Amino acid sequence: MTPWRRHSVADRPLTCREVGKLLQRYLDGETGEHATAKVAEHLEDCRRCGLEAGIYREIKASLARQATVLPETTLVRLRRFGQQLAHEGPPDAPADDGDRGDGS
Amino acid sequence: MGATRDQRALSDDEAFARYVLPEVDVLLRVALSRTRNAADAEDLVQDTLLRAYRAIGRFDGNYPRAWLLTILRNAQANRVRRRRPSLLRNPDAGQRLQEVRDALPSAEAIVVGRAFDATVELPTRFRHVVELIDIDGLSYQDAADTLGVPVGTVMSRLHRARYRIRTRLTAAGLVPRSKR
Repeated sequence: MTPWRRHSVADRPLTCREVGKLLQRYLDGETGEHATAKVAEHLEDCRRCGLEAGIYREIKASLARQATVLPETTLVRLRRFGQQLAHEGPPDAPADDGDRGDGS
Repeated sequence: MGATRDQRALSDDEAFARYVLPEVDVLLRVALSRTRNAADAEDLVQDTLLRAYRAIGRFDGNYPRAWLLTILRNAQANRVRRRRPSLLRNPDAGQRLQEVRDALPSAEAIVVGRAFDATVELPTRFRHVVELIDIDGLSYQDAADTLGVPVGTVMSRLHRARYRIRTRLTAAGLVPRSKR
């Protein structure tokens, strides 16, 4: 498995159209260092694109606030289960049907 | 996949402790998104951990999260296949989604709630991507591994989904129209 290839970005100032194409990846932290700097530079100067970025940031932040708080007791049980696997091996009667499904 | 130099020095149990145990939180978060039910999510993560334990000897030590999310996806697909016939016979099968919908914020909620409400209206393939990336905080690559689709597909679905959410919020007068 390899990380996906990032698009190259020109050295000149980016146009609004180019920023529009990169904006979502930029907001997700999925642009490379150079593209990130170029988009940030454009958003500083362009009110229209800056406003657009602000709206999507708000949408993204509002969705992130909906993240479920992980049930602590479940988490503790699963961590314990994982540690038992690591130290003692699997339980006597595994729930699995023998289907490997390990993605390898 | 060949074992890396680093991993050759580790026993399977040590490799499991190093690569798998730190990912239990992420696995549970993703399992909750995929199953929408705490008990099913716990079973799914247990199943994933067991499969990972059995396969750790063949794991090369690279991208453990991606590897585990692929295992989780396969485990989930297997569970869905096994359950489908009984679900079809189960008159309560459709209730779970309704319960999830009922638990969502009302139509009068603030922008935060409206953005979330808007995700419920999205086609399933779009909603899954938004849940994994915007709510669960996965990277594009990890979401792609979880769903078993290319990263480009994840990006395309995510961007279209956000555009739809934005359009819904604009229609509700909560954000300004795009000037593009």
